[in-house]
Amino acid sequence: MAMPRAGLLLRKASRSEARPSPRVWGRGERDCIKPMKVDKRPGGGVAKIHIEDDGSYFQVSQDGGTQKLEKAKISLDDCLACSGCVTSAETVLITQQSHEELRKVLDANKTAAPGQQRLVVVSVSPQSRASLAARFQLTPTDTARKLTAFFKKLGVHYVFDTAFSRNFSLLESQREFVQRFRGQANSTQALPMFTSACPGWICYAEKTHGSFLIPYLSTARSPQQVMGSLVKDFFAQQQHLTPDRIYHVTVMPCYDKKLEASRPDFFSQEHQTRDVDCVVTTGEVFKLLEEEGVSLSQLEPAPLDSLCSSASAQEPTSHRGGGSGGYLEHVFQHAARELFGIHVDEVTYRPLRNKDFQEVTLEKEGRVLLHFATAYGFRNIQNLVQKLKRGRCPYHYVEVMACPAGCLNGGGQLKALGTPSKALLQHVEMLYGMVRTEAPEEVPGVQELYRCWLQGEGSERAGHLLHTSYHAVEKASSGLSIRW
Amino acid sequence: MKDSLVLLGRVPAHPDSRCWFLAWNPAGTLLASCGGDRSVRIWGTEGDSWICKSVLSEGHQRTVRKVAWSPCGNYLASASFDATTCIWKKNQDDFECVTTLEGHENEVKSVAWAPSGNLLATCSRDKSVWVWEVDEEDEYECVSVLNSHTQDVKHVVWHPSQELLASASYDDTVKLYREEEDDWVCCATLEGHESTVWSLAFDPSGQRLASCSDDRTVRIWRQYPPDNEQGVACSGSDPSWKCICTLSGFHSRTIYDVAWCQLTGALATACGDDAIRVFEEDPSSDPQQPTFSLTAHLPQAHSQDVNCVAWNPKEQGLLASCSDDGEVAFWKYQRPEGI
Repeated sequence: MAMPRAGLLLRKASRSEARPSPRVWGRGERDCIKPMKVDKRPGGGVAKIHIEDDGSYFQVSQDGGTQKLEKAKISLDDCLACSGCVTSAETVLITQQSHEELRKVLDANKTAAPGQQRLVVVSVSPQSRASLAARFQLTPTDTARKLTAFFKKLGVHYVFDTAFSRNFSLLESQREFVQRFRGQANSTQALPMFTSACPGWICYAEKTHGSFLIPYLSTARSPQQVMGSLVKDFFAQQQHLTPDRIYHVTVMPCYDKKLEASRPDFFSQEHQTRDVDCVVTTGEVFKLLEEEGVSLSQLEPAPLDSLCSSASAQEPTSHRGGGSGGYLEHVFQHAARELFGIHVDEVTYRPLRNKDFQEVTLEKEGRVLLHFATAYGFRNIQNLVQKLKRGRCPYHYVEVMACPAGCLNGGGQLKALGTPSKALLQHVEMLYGMVRTEAPEEVPGVQELYRCWLQGEGSERAGHLLHTSYHAVEKASSGLSIRW
Repeated sequence: MKDSLVLLGRVPAHPDSRCWFLAWNPAGTLLASCGGDRSVRIWGTEGDSWICKSVLSEGHQRTVRKVAWSPCGNYLASASFDATTCIWKKNQDDFECVTTLEGHENEVKSVAWAPSGNLLATCSRDKSVWVWEVDEEDEYECVSVLNSHTQDVKHVVWHPSQELLASASYDDTVKLYREEEDDWVCCATLEGHESTVWSLAFDPSGQRLASCSDDRTVRIWRQYPPDNEQGVACSGSDPSWKCICTLSGFHSRTIYDVAWCQLTGALATACGDDAIRVFEEDPSSDPQQPTFSLTAHLPQAHSQDVNCVAWNPKEQGLLASCSDDGEVAFWKYQRPEGI
């Protein structure tokens, strides 16, 4: 029954056997190709490597002298640039112990001079919130308020909800799809359009299918990265701070979001700062709580923060269309209206060969006007990409997620204790679905931000702050790096 | 014992190259071979000799490691180090590549058809086992990607009558898989070998599984369903597997292949010491603790490692073998008297 390994790309060196959820996409048995820094002493001759019981490496030279060797450290940037091992993360040591990073910044703030302090902002994803709500047996609203209280107790200044930034991701996706659908005659690669909010999918696409797949990817930024723009551009201005004075942390259901945050596209050369400085998983937040000796349920709830006054609410809001953001649902309803003048009340999903592969169609008088699908998990992504390669992809739009069952089942979510994992997932889905949904067009503050901050929908500023681009990664050259 | 295995003939199947694997078609009339020269060859008889009837050379960019016939005999699958698996459709003596299955990260090590003919399994150095489904229009779709092994997966084989899949790996284990709801799951892990498990073969009934290894042993495993008479404990509804026999001390090098004759129950092995051996179960032995005797041992069967042995499914005693020396040999096995 064991489906080992959570998460697509990143995981610390531990293997949990009992989890039937996201699986590592079996990647090659390739050694990491990042070169080891070896200080060569002149005339050193042959040295032997000796491994101590604690796992540290000592170089023993011919004269018997020993020298402790530095562990090769792999940074997230190196990971992104390589197409070698990527997954099977047992052998890759990730330098950023993220919740410890956050602590360091908070501790530094305590002793820093007022002008040197950093404004710490934490953006929590609705999926992480649902996972914590399940563990602590709280409602999503209480979880949101108590998490806010917890982070502020640690010294965090503001706590936001990425469901707010998700409005922009959805609106931009809707607009982009309609544009591409209308422009089909001019481009063979306009459709199908694939969602791009899942970094596991993006890294796989860039590394395995590179220039073939990239034209089909949506350029809309994910909610995490829209929040990055919001916090480091809009909010920074509001607070009269330069972006580098803000330390932006996001709480996410998977490890792959750490890779997304460290993409060069999301680093501001001008201000020498990332849009998202640190990503902690739901599990890492739980560790923080444990380390502080705090039980979330026992905290006094605090009022929720919001990015702009018109967006203030004391209850979180969410979106329809499932636990992975609702891209298909929103783009479908918008496209039906915009392109065909058809109002769709309820979107009906038809499962295909498995529950992670579903179809939605818009038909009129026997003709199929729109054909959309969701494809979650590696096997379904495989089939989708192969169909596309053969020119047999029947879909206009596909919501692609790396994890079976989507983001609520991400590799960084809290694991089941005692109960079967399936039951926990259903519980988390139920809690996620409890939150009141709002159409992005109607969310207070969003239209205002388009007007004031972005200078209009479809503006150059909107393009720069709400969209991104992708880069094919050349495969590591064979021979040296591959073990035959 | 030497006379129990007699050479019928040899062919230089993949000259200047290795011959990696052999597969008889279900009718027993054709033998497919594959090798380091990137080709697949189809052999048939003409009178007393074996001749090459077709060469499938345009399918792969690198070594072809295994070939497998579909149960109906109309299709042949070839697994290659170029990370793809080709499906060839037979049209009399011609074979046309109708599909190429992609997706494995690196070398595909094995391919096998399920008895129903609707499912195919592949495995790779990328540590994964894939299950594919084929529909009426010869379209293949990936049904499951199984990441249970922790190292290179060397071989996959299906149970003769159930949709149960077995895999052998460099991680020293054998794993079994079955369908559960809309996915496949690993339902058993057989531990015991002390090194790479290279190949597997089910017995004619499917109740037992033979595995061969770099540890120079062949192990026989038996399936015990829940509530079995022997009182073997099972967890949940999955059968337990126990190692009921270990053949050790017979092989002096890695055993690369094991073949279980579906007609007679004889076990043949292909060994890195260039020899072919045949074992038969002692009729009076306890089914729960069987003993096998060596009934044939042919040293120097080939001039290099023997990679594969394959029993003809229709003609009793007809055995084919192939080697790193590029040759295919045909043998007549006859059970020695008095055993």
